[in-house]
Amino acid sequence: MAITEAHAGRRYSLGDPYHVSAAKIAEFATALGDDNPRYRGESPVAPPTFAAVISAQAWNQMFADPELELSLERIVHGDQRFTFFRPLRAGDALIATATIDRVRIRAGSELISATVEIAGRDAEPICTAQATFYHAREAAA
Amino acid sequence: MKATVVDGLEIGTNLPPLTVRFTRERLARYAGASTDFNPIHYSEYFATQAGLPGVIAHGMLTMGAALRVVTNWVGDPGRVTSYSARFTRPVVVPDDAVGIEVEFSGSVFAIEGSLVTVSIEAISQGQKVLGAARAEVDLGVRVPHRDHEV
Repeated sequence: MAITEAHAGRRYSLGDPYHVSAAKIAEFATALGDDNPRYRGESPVAPPTFAAVISAQAWNQMFADPELELSLERIVHGDQRFTFFRPLRAGDALIATATIDRVRIRAGSELISATVEIAGRDAEPICTAQATFYHAREAAA
Repeated sequence: MKATVVDGLEIGTNLPPLTVRFTRERLARYAGASTDFNPIHYSEYFATQAGLPGVIAHGMLTMGAALRVVTNWVGDPGRVTSYSARFTRPVVVPDDAVGIEVEFSGSVFAIEGSLVTVSIEAISQGQKVLGAARAEVDLGVRVPHRDHEV
């Protein structure tokens, strides 16, 4: 069966934390073409949208859930909201948990709204990332 | 905090704009850095199968590059407290040496205490590619501005 409205509430989480490194932060900043010195050196902060990289750990689990029958190449990001309680930093060990908030079925596509909670050690809340994805049900003719 | 950030800040104050060139090389780099390997961002075949006009930039690349308008201005990216945007139009990136330019600009949308909300525009080929893009920064000091003066 494919994704339905009834999949709202389903959760995805990786068992192992994501360890943020200074090298990965610098690589990500370079990909954005951003030379801000706060992203380099010994103890950098991450670009705020690095939260999407952590979120993707949970999103990818959702996209790969066989019960939802989603195809990555037919998924387009519709919107994104981040709320930051503090910046992500090198040395953080982060757990991302995604929850499907809502599924809307449209002619030929599904809209999937999901919230990722990014937490640090002792469940410290660090960032909330809310997204909507469009999934085209069939490949275009 | 740069003193120049707070001085004379009003609703409507424009931030320094920024133009970023998106090429296939940048998409490859972003795919690796972000671990977003959706093939619509590197394969013409999968992009057109998905009904897109061609290979498109990652929405998060556009959103991430757009935020540079705010973080360049404020200096410390750790001051960003929220950021949201809609991906209204795909940025199609040609397979050539030129790529495509995206122009980013920002202006102060709201001021409340130490919190400043910036509205960001992202334009490519005359079209808006982000909708309702807003970033909130906490400047750490109350921002004096005309709306609060008697």
